[in-house]
Amino acid sequence: MSALDRAAGRNPWIDRLGWAALTLAALVMVAPLLWTVGLSLKANGELLRDTASVFRGPYTLENYGSILARPAAFRWLANSLLVSLCTTAGVLALSSLAGYGFARLKFPGRKWLFALVLFGLAVPEQSVIITRHQLFSALHLHNTYPGLILPGLAAPFGVFLMTQYFKAIPVELDEAAMLDGASRRQVFWKVLLPLTLPAQATLGIFTFLSSWNDYWWPLISATRSEMFTLTVGVASSQINFAQTSGLGFLMAQAVFASAPILVVYVFFQKYIVRAVSGAAVR
Amino acid sequence: MARVRLDHLGKSFGATAVLDDVSLDIASGEFIAFLGPSGCGKSTLLRMIAGLETVETGQIHIGDRRVDALAPGDRGVAMVFQHYALYPHMTIFENMAFGLRNAKVPKAEIETRVADAARILEIERFLQQKPGQLSGGQRQRVAIGRAIVKKPDLFLFDEPLSNLDAALRMRTRLELAQLRRRVQATMILVTHDQVEAMTLADRIVVMSDRRIQQVGTPMEIYARPANRFVATFVGSPPMSFLDATLGEGAGGLARATLAGGAAVDTEVPLAALPAGAGWRLGLRAEAVKVVAPGAGLVDAKVEFVERLGDRTLVYLRLADGSAITAEDAGTSRAAMGDAVGLALDGPVHLFDADDRAHYGPLA
Amino acid sequence: MSAASPRRSSWTNGLFVTPYLVVYLVLLLYPLLAGVWLSLHKADLFGGEAFVGLENFGRLLRDTVFLQAVRNTFYFVLLTVPPLAVIALGLAIALNRPTRAAAFFRGVFFSSSVLSVTIVTLIWRLVLIPDGGLIANVLHMAGKPPIPLLSHPDLVLPAIALTTVWWCLGLPMMLYLAALQQVPAELYEAAALDRASRWKTLTRITLPSIRRTLVLVVIIQCVLQFQLFGQAQLLTQGGPNGASRPLVLFIYEVGFRRWDIGYAAAASEILFGLILIATVLQYVTTREKEAVR
Repeated sequence: MSALDRAAGRNPWIDRLGWAALTLAALVMVAPLLWTVGLSLKANGELLRDTASVFRGPYTLENYGSILARPAAFRWLANSLLVSLCTTAGVLALSSLAGYGFARLKFPGRKWLFALVLFGLAVPEQSVIITRHQLFSALHLHNTYPGLILPGLAAPFGVFLMTQYFKAIPVELDEAAMLDGASRRQVFWKVLLPLTLPAQATLGIFTFLSSWNDYWWPLISATRSEMFTLTVGVASSQINFAQTSGLGFLMAQAVFASAPILVVYVFFQKYIVRAVSGAAVR
Repeated sequence: MARVRLDHLGKSFGATAVLDDVSLDIASGEFIAFLGPSGCGKSTLLRMIAGLETVETGQIHIGDRRVDALAPGDRGVAMVFQHYALYPHMTIFENMAFGLRNAKVPKAEIETRVADAARILEIERFLQQKPGQLSGGQRQRVAIGRAIVKKPDLFLFDEPLSNLDAALRMRTRLELAQLRRRVQATMILVTHDQVEAMTLADRIVVMSDRRIQQVGTPMEIYARPANRFVATFVGSPPMSFLDATLGEGAGGLARATLAGGAAVDTEVPLAALPAGAGWRLGLRAEAVKVVAPGAGLVDAKVEFVERLGDRTLVYLRLADGSAITAEDAGTSRAAMGDAVGLALDGPVHLFDADDRAHYGPLA
Repeated sequence: MSAASPRRSSWTNGLFVTPYLVVYLVLLLYPLLAGVWLSLHKADLFGGEAFVGLENFGRLLRDTVFLQAVRNTFYFVLLTVPPLAVIALGLAIALNRPTRAAAFFRGVFFSSSVLSVTIVTLIWRLVLIPDGGLIANVLHMAGKPPIPLLSHPDLVLPAIALTTVWWCLGLPMMLYLAALQQVPAELYEAAALDRASRWKTLTRITLPSIRRTLVLVVIIQCVLQFQLFGQAQLLTQGGPNGASRPLVLFIYEVGFRRWDIGYAAAASEILFGLILIATVLQYVTTREKEAVR
């Protein structure tokens, strides 16, 4: 209970009731996660008879052992990592260059082109999928890494963010650097780019997360198992739910697939939250 | 140190002209102030000299080199910006060394120069900090230090004191004046503050409406303003003006007759003046004294009294409706509504219908 | 004259934006325009292409499967957006304090947002299924029979909505929290000195102060939930009997299962039009916010 509430003579019991409700809500929130972890630690045969057996022992790690025995999951993990990292690097590079260009340089058609990029913010991925799929078929890019990476680079959000950020940096800094004898390339690299680090972090985290969790495009473009990303890989074993080797194994896969991102989340929570909410408001 | 020559500079942003045929010769080692209201083109002129704005017509020479086509970094100039423009991600040392590194100055030399400048400006203990950790006054010194280490031929200051509070501004003004003695370079200061211009500059360039209005030493500008704009802009309170007709007085000098019939002798030979009407007499407050009604040149009514401690400004209205400001002693007993007389005690200025000032030969 | 001045307009300056623009034009704008073109054709994967004008759109309006998908999508938005907006607001107001406990709870409620849709559906399948799922187990303990949440035509969309609310709660909560941080503390101090009750403080100070964020959250969530795909595709494949097939799944099935790509393109143009309206609304809302500041 805060001093303010005391000053206003507010009933402290409402506050305590609020915390109780909050704790309950948090339990509901984590219950599915605990359930999943619990199931993953049980033998498949036992779960087949009764999933309630999860509330009592014995527990086993054999499902995780089965994952280790199947190299496909690791291939998918590596694919996801490669695709997400390349997408992030590409978006950061393209957005920084374009943001600097739109914010600082004059060239014919600049305003018009920037408006065109802004328009792209309103185009959902799903509405261009048919023709994009045709395009990638014609270029023989399906089931390749470039095929998985390239669509992520077209998203206009990064350009929008970096342009805003470059605009917020006082032009006096460019001018001071020019008087200090810096070339335009040096102004960009040594003065402006280091100042955009916070925006780079926001954009980088947001892009990595979106790419890592993307299901839509890899589902359509990657049809061969060895080119699956983790999302599509996990989905493929889920669709064959009936024929799967067991509940426990499936849940172990869920834990295995979510562990990397959850670990990253625990360590970089502040930045991830800032990046995701910043991107939503834009 | 270098002489700076501006020849017929012109500039426009789109359809708006911002500078019109500006020519100026600045001697080596001179301290020049560009003084004028905002929008008069003084900052644009400075930025053209720095190379931050393109030159459309005319030429700029620094020393023997024509520089108007050179990149800013190749002109041998250093600039102190209004908002300091320190690089936020670099330490103070790196800020000062950045330009030298770009110029490929040897490392040892960079360290000596930065250390020297830091000592002069008393910012040695901040060298490893970032600009964000410094106060406004300290940042200002770093900005000056960043200019000094480059040992430029020409220093440019763009309203460097306008972001400081009153006390700090006065101190920094003194320091700039001292810096000037220590650093051998030509300096140009842009300001809208006449006190800054008067106290710091060897010569003031008064600008208005895209043009240079007058170039002269501070006292020349004050004592012999070239036109009504300069007379109004420089000096506080601004000069007062009274309509007058001209006739011949003693010794062939022009005699001005005011609306009420009172006559004032000037020091300008009537023969040297163009024919025509529309003359005005310009009076600085300190040349107008308050006396008893009927005892002066003309009678007036006190409209407002401003007491400044050491002196008192008395705002008056004449019978014909014109306004005039007089200066009285700090102990003045003038009060609003009083009827008083006015006496003249000091030089008068004569302006023609085109607002140009006319003066007699220098004594 | 001065070559280094960026103020001068030149073609070479445009080189900085060229790499992105090429990618943008080829991978986003071209597919968008080609999609419009394609939607006016009867086309299939094997290269057959005939101009049919607006026939595809006419067909869509008569297609009961499409109309059901549109209805499902709007129903789903209605099922998810209000709970998301309200629950997230409640959490944000409760957790807008600088204590460690509040930070921990914020972390918990946001954690599900970093998971991918495939993991979320994998987890929730084992919560929802009547045959040994978590909910069925809880019901069993209460002596109740299991409910076939994913195979009942009336329950399947609410079940998917429940999954989605669990998954998406973090973002609106964080948006509200960011807005609440901007409310000046003096307002709350003044209210306390006026002995305002909690309810008065909430309705007279907190909610009016974050009104724009409320609108923004609703619009953002509408856009996001309108694009429902993964949850339905993975949990039910749109079943039973199309009861949970959303618009995007319709496009996916027509385009990549039946390969009727002209028809699918026409459906995606309708999706694009709907999202465009919402995005324009969002743009207007955010601009207004800046104008007020």
